[in-house]
Amino acid sequence: MGKEDVSTKKRRKINTTTSSEASKQAPVDVYTRVVEFEEAEAQLRPAEKDASLFKKICQDVRYLFAEISELKAKDTDEAREKINTKRIEASLNLVALKKLNRLEKVRTRAGRDALHKEKQRVDSTHLLLQNLLYEADHLNKEVTKCLQFKSKDEEIELVPLEDFYKDAPSEISRPDLTKNDEHQLQLARLEWELRQRRELSSACHELVASKERVAAAIAAARSRLDALVPYLRDVLKSTKPLQECLALRLDDKRDEARAASLLPAPLFLLFANVSAYSDALGAETVTVGISGDEDEARRLEQLSNVDTDLVASNDSDSEQENNDDDQREKKKRHHRTAKVSKEEKAEAKKKEVLKKHPLSVQVSVKVSDGTALNLIFSNLLHLKIVVVKFTVSLPKPVVGVSAADVLNGHCILNNLYPGDSGNDSPHPATSYLLKSAGISESFDHFISELGKPYIWAQRMCGLDFMATITEDQKFAKNIQPCPSLSVSTVENFILTLRKRLKSRVELMKELQDLESGKILPAKGEVPCPVRLSGSLTQWQSIAWPEYSQSSSTAFLISEGLVNTNDMLYRAIITRQSAKLVALVALRSDYPKKAPIFSLTLHWNGTHHAGINDDIRDIERVINTDQTSEENKSLTLSAKITKLLTCLDILLETSGSSEFPPDKVMLCPVRGRNRVKPYKFLKQGTGVFVQY
Amino acid sequence: MLDKILYNTVLSQTLSPCGKYLVAGNIYGQIAVFNLERILNPEPLSLDYNKPKHIHNIESGYQICSLTSTDAALIIGTVNEILGYDWKTVTSAKVSKPLWRIKISSETSMEQIDVNSLWLSEDEAKLYAGCGDNNIYVYNMDDGRLLSTFKGHTDFVHSVHGKNQQLISASEDGSVILWDTRTRTLQNKLTPHTNSKVNRPDIGKWVGSAALNDDWIVCGGGPRLALWHLRSLDAVTVFDIPDHGIHVSFFHDDCVFAGGAAKHLYQLCYSGDVKVELPVSATTVYSAVLRTTPNKVLAIAGSSPEIDLCTSFNYRDQILHFR
Repeated sequence: MGKEDVSTKKRRKINTTTSSEASKQAPVDVYTRVVEFEEAEAQLRPAEKDASLFKKICQDVRYLFAEISELKAKDTDEAREKINTKRIEASLNLVALKKLNRLEKVRTRAGRDALHKEKQRVDSTHLLLQNLLYEADHLNKEVTKCLQFKSKDEEIELVPLEDFYKDAPSEISRPDLTKNDEHQLQLARLEWELRQRRELSSACHELVASKERVAAAIAAARSRLDALVPYLRDVLKSTKPLQECLALRLDDKRDEARAASLLPAPLFLLFANVSAYSDALGAETVTVGISGDEDEARRLEQLSNVDTDLVASNDSDSEQENNDDDQREKKKRHHRTAKVSKEEKAEAKKKEVLKKHPLSVQVSVKVSDGTALNLIFSNLLHLKIVVVKFTVSLPKPVVGVSAADVLNGHCILNNLYPGDSGNDSPHPATSYLLKSAGISESFDHFISELGKPYIWAQRMCGLDFMATITEDQKFAKNIQPCPSLSVSTVENFILTLRKRLKSRVELMKELQDLESGKILPAKGEVPCPVRLSGSLTQWQSIAWPEYSQSSSTAFLISEGLVNTNDMLYRAIITRQSAKLVALVALRSDYPKKAPIFSLTLHWNGTHHAGINDDIRDIERVINTDQTSEENKSLTLSAKITKLLTCLDILLETSGSSEFPPDKVMLCPVRGRNRVKPYKFLKQGTGVFVQY
Repeated sequence: MLDKILYNTVLSQTLSPCGKYLVAGNIYGQIAVFNLERILNPEPLSLDYNKPKHIHNIESGYQICSLTSTDAALIIGTVNEILGYDWKTVTSAKVSKPLWRIKISSETSMEQIDVNSLWLSEDEAKLYAGCGDNNIYVYNMDDGRLLSTFKGHTDFVHSVHGKNQQLISASEDGSVILWDTRTRTLQNKLTPHTNSKVNRPDIGKWVGSAALNDDWIVCGGGPRLALWHLRSLDAVTVFDIPDHGIHVSFFHDDCVFAGGAAKHLYQLCYSGDVKVELPVSATTVYSAVLRTTPNKVLAIAGSSPEIDLCTSFNYRDQILHFR
């Protein structure tokens, strides 16, 4: 109880002070002053102490209420008095409680304010942090962007480092600075580069300028030369009468040279070499000329480069086209018009493939008696081969059929070189080219129309297909003519052809005589001292079938000694009832190769070498040179003379009364093979012996 | 000019005593040595087995007219001389000098004497040479001495053959003479062309070949091939074969072998029947050699570079090329 008293006293005291203070400040604004004061008080007083004070007062109030209720229960005056005091006491306590409550409220509000304030501060700090982080991120990005930046100078090709230090002046290179600093080094190098480029550019400008100056000078000179042309033409015109007077062929030569420049490469080579030969040997042996349409040639030359390419591509297309055509044709066979146009197209294509160069070279080779062989060389533009046409000009007409054949151009050129028949293209690509152009016929089909593609002709023009075969099997498109080949072949050819021509002229004369039945001794040889009783009654040329069907020739053909390229003749020699048929084969290179005789004797039956040894012996004598007599003429006439002798001997030794012996023989037969004396010895009047 | 070997003519052949080699001589003075063992058993894939092993040129260059052989030597009858060569050198690649040579002296220097036929007596002691100067010379094989000369023919001698002290010779003059080799005298003379059964005037009177055995003579040439009886000298059988002259005839095994200017070599019975016709390459057969030991071989040669070889005597087995 004592405690409660103390507390109440205190509270009273407090209350009084408070009231006294309030009363003092009252004149300003009591309420606000009270509020301020209480706020200050609330700040000053510790909250825990107030809490415990509040609990104690609450306890006191409870005790007082309990005492009051006790006292009420007593219901005495004394008690009533006591209740009054107690009531006052309790009311004071309630006032104190009120005060405490107010203080608490103020304090709570202050706390809330403080919390709010703190919260705001934290919020703003957080915001600041966020800003900073964002900024940092951005900066990082910028840094990487900078790091990745490519500078233009990296693309510039710089002078290598060693050259830079060597060439650049030290005020640019600054080695002391740049040796350590990569960036400075780069800068220095760039600077050096720039300077050098500037110098070069200025040099370039200078050169261009000088070039223009030179060009201008050239143009000026050209215009001056052009101005000269009319004068020169006048000079030329005025020299013409003089030329004619002096029989100089300067103009013709000039024309020829101009035409020659238009020739395709192979023909040009041929022309150049043959004309050189013609100069060296004289015009009476070899002459050369150019014929054809020059304007056409000029046009062709302008087109030439483009043209060759076009042809190649056309060719590759055409095959496909052809196939298409074929298919189309199969589908609509009844459409006649389509077929006709197709034929026309094929015809045009054929013409295109077999096209010749408009210019051709004419070579004419002559021998002393005036017989000349004119060769016309033409170049097939697309097949890239050279073909030859030929004519023979004779000083006087040839009498006799077989003799005329000998001087036929085909016959002269036949096997001029071994194996060169000129019957097929020497170019391996020809058949392929023809096929791709849709031409089903092989090349030999066109030879009669175009001319013969002899290998020597290709070689004279410097074309060697053998060499290209090894390099490119399929399609050697660009064959370069080889000058050295042409030179050597032209010389060889002209000499070979002249020799052939000469021998053919001689042969022609010989055949003319033979055809008229005359057998003349060869030049420089003593006529046969023996009287010959047989006579040549017939001489004519025969064809291969007749030759090959004769039973006497089977042996020669099977041995490959005679073939279809040889010139074949039949000679008939008669003496009374005996008839000797001799089939004669002349090689194309006669008289280098001797003629080959094949004999059949019609007398007392038919005899030939296969069944009769005597005929075989005569053939041996005629066809082989077992008699080692040198300088023995191998000409046809000599052989036929010998044959006549042999026939006489054979008939006279037969013992028949029809042929009385009139030749001197040592013994008519000799040896187990009963061989007759065919060999003539010049002893006395002449003796015939066996060996 | 053609190669003369295309017109080769083989005049004579002989077989070596060992039986391994066939030697043929031609008109160009060449002898070809064929290795029969290799030819009869050709190695597979060898193409030139039928070519000669060697071809030798005899130094004089004259035609080889006749050939025969002894155990020691190959005997070559050429022109004006008879040569003996050692078999060893003949079968080697290069032939050396002959072992011996017998010169035949001619009466005139111009004349050349062909040794057309050679026949060795059975004991190989005497060599009979039928020559181009109408005579038959007998030589001693030991020293090459001329023992005697048989004179009687009036033209050159085609062939010589002998049997039992008898010698038979055929000549261009149309006569066949039988000689006694002991008395060296003319024993009998036969003139086939005077017999109308065998005479063929269009071919000639010459007798190309004659041979004899114990009872018979076979001969032919211009006249037909006929079998004559040795003692009566009658033409017993006239063989009817389509030939234009006989150059080869001999007896073998009761058969007559005959050849000449005909397409075949004939094997005939004494009765006149044709037993076998062997086709031949040569236009005219000049030589046929036959042997039965160690194996059967028949070689036929003539005017051709080819030589026909038969091992059964019934058909042509192989063709050899002398070229």
